[in-house]
Amino acid sequence: MPRVYNWQLGREMSYWYPEVRAKKQFGAIFDVNKCIACQTCTLACKTTWTSGKGQESMLWNNVESKPYGFYPLGWDVKLLDMLGAQDWKGKTYQGKTIFESAPAGERVLGWRPDSRDYAYPNVGEDDCAGDITKGAHMTLPHMNWFFYLARICNHCTYPGCLAACPRGSIYKRPEDGIVLVDQGKCRGYQECVKACPYKKVFFNPMTGTSEKCIGCYPKQEQGLAPQCFSNCIGKIRMAGSISKPDQMREDNPIDYLIHVKKIALPLFPQFGLEPNVYYVPPLHAPAAFLTQIFGPGVEEATKAYLNAPNDPDLMGLLALFGSTEQIIPRFRRVGGEMLGLDEDGTELIRVPIQEPKYIRMAVDAARGVLLTNVP
Amino acid sequence: MAYGRLGRRTWMAAAGVLAAGLWGCSRPVPPAPVTEVRAVQVAALPSTPEDAQWGSGEAFRAPLILQDMVEPRKMVAGATEVTVRALTDGKSIAFRLEWADATEDSVRDAARFTDACAVQLPSNSGPDTPAPQMGEPGRPVEIAFWTATAQAFIDGRPDDLKSLHPNANIDHYPFEAPGLEKTPGKAEEMAKQYAPAKSLGNIVSPSPKKSVQDLMADGPGTMRPAPSQSSTGLGRRTGAGWAVVITRPLPSGLAPGGTSLVAFAVWNGSDGDVGGRKMRTVWIPLTLTGAKKP
Repeated sequence: MPRVYNWQLGREMSYWYPEVRAKKQFGAIFDVNKCIACQTCTLACKTTWTSGKGQESMLWNNVESKPYGFYPLGWDVKLLDMLGAQDWKGKTYQGKTIFESAPAGERVLGWRPDSRDYAYPNVGEDDCAGDITKGAHMTLPHMNWFFYLARICNHCTYPGCLAACPRGSIYKRPEDGIVLVDQGKCRGYQECVKACPYKKVFFNPMTGTSEKCIGCYPKQEQGLAPQCFSNCIGKIRMAGSISKPDQMREDNPIDYLIHVKKIALPLFPQFGLEPNVYYVPPLHAPAAFLTQIFGPGVEEATKAYLNAPNDPDLMGLLALFGSTEQIIPRFRRVGGEMLGLDEDGTELIRVPIQEPKYIRMAVDAARGVLLTNVP
Repeated sequence: MAYGRLGRRTWMAAAGVLAAGLWGCSRPVPPAPVTEVRAVQVAALPSTPEDAQWGSGEAFRAPLILQDMVEPRKMVAGATEVTVRALTDGKSIAFRLEWADATEDSVRDAARFTDACAVQLPSNSGPDTPAPQMGEPGRPVEIAFWTATAQAFIDGRPDDLKSLHPNANIDHYPFEAPGLEKTPGKAEEMAKQYAPAKSLGNIVSPSPKKSVQDLMADGPGTMRPAPSQSSTGLGRRTGAGWAVVITRPLPSGLAPGGTSLVAFAVWNGSDGDVGGRKMRTVWIPLTLTGAKKP
């Protein structure tokens, strides 16, 4: 197998194909701390793309409660179990990726969910890591916890699905790195379903082909964020493009947040796919659990995120999340405002870094009346 | 290795004939083993595996080997042989394949695969033989591929979710919303938007009219629909497995009296067989009986 460089692992690794990077790679950041699991993203995607026959239990976007939520059932823990315990040394991965641990006869280490594994998309919703005893909610930090993990296809730099397809029916668009299944060519072998560690390729029994998140490429081609981004009422998501660390551009919001501020981390980087959706880890979950999911940068990311009130650039960029449907390729801070700019510098959006505060007195002295909220 | 096995069999047969000659004529000479698929000429080809005409052809028991050369591979052996008979009417050739398979797998779903079988012929019947594994660049092969899933649709299984999951509850499909029927074609157009493979005419999308796909390939991973989808087929469960008839037009250059090569493959859905995960044969000589045209 060819050797390729995976910067998230800090080392070269084996992959089925040589390293070919997209001219521009679709990348995104999800701020887990802001997600309320309203599933508006899930429904926005579902109504747009997967309302057809054979797509009934197919969710290209889903939100699951960690640690006990999974869609499909056990998607991550099953593969972690197959892969076995692996080590990081600093930020260099010492263990094996799913490509390097492929068994004989396989291209990728993986497993296939069956239809029952897709039957409970919101299993474990709001389930805590442990029992809440009387008074526990009064203590901080919480002893027991959960958090919401919103997931889409990671449009990986080294996709497992693409490596596993024996027919070359999966391709990565050179212009934006979006990974697609060619619906005219796919023969429904489900090798991609087996290989994708995130289980974001789905078999459609009615068309006989495998289908997946398309990154809403018709929207992205018009400079617009995908449906699950623009419909997110919690404004937890930002879409854009991500560069390799040595080619990063400091005025690109995604590059800046990931490479400079290091507040967002990839999902299961140890699998070796260089996934391109990044997460601001939740503040209240144990570091050991988060490190298993997001890799070795959790402490650094949390520290930077907590320092946001003292960091106007970071505050401003977090305020840009969900502020417009348009993708923001560049940014510039002007005083107390953060500007989202187009590639040519045109202003797309302007947001205050601190929302203005209005304090309303309880008594209107001029009129001599009490100002009360009417229920 | 497989060629070696076939070769060894031929060699042993030759040795047996020699021994019989040495010992004189006191013992009856055993019938010579069948070493090729012989397509016997008939007036009209049968369409069912039960047809009595199949008795007029010799059975060739083709050993099946693992497809273990190209990833993803099949690592654990399934059926060990497929019994093949062939008939021709001078225009088409019909194969009857019978193999053991304890389970009927005709549903395709997440992690569920269909039983299937295929007949492969070189596109050109000349001496330049393509590789037996899906051909090679410049030496294409033609494949007729029967699936139990398609057979089930033809036999009457509805092509809907309820046939896979009888207790499934479906809230709503947008293209079945009341009122859409007032605009002719509107509902169909909407439904197509959610079924891109069908919109693109992908032949793996269920087609209840046909159980055999005509495919061609010039190497592993290159299989694609053939320009003409003219093969037909019919599969039936036997007591021990499947008996399937696949009928296709004679390939270009092959006529009664002529020879070519043929290879077969079978898939067992409950073993997870799909795509390259299959049991296959090597190339087997194929002879068509009948007089050559001058």
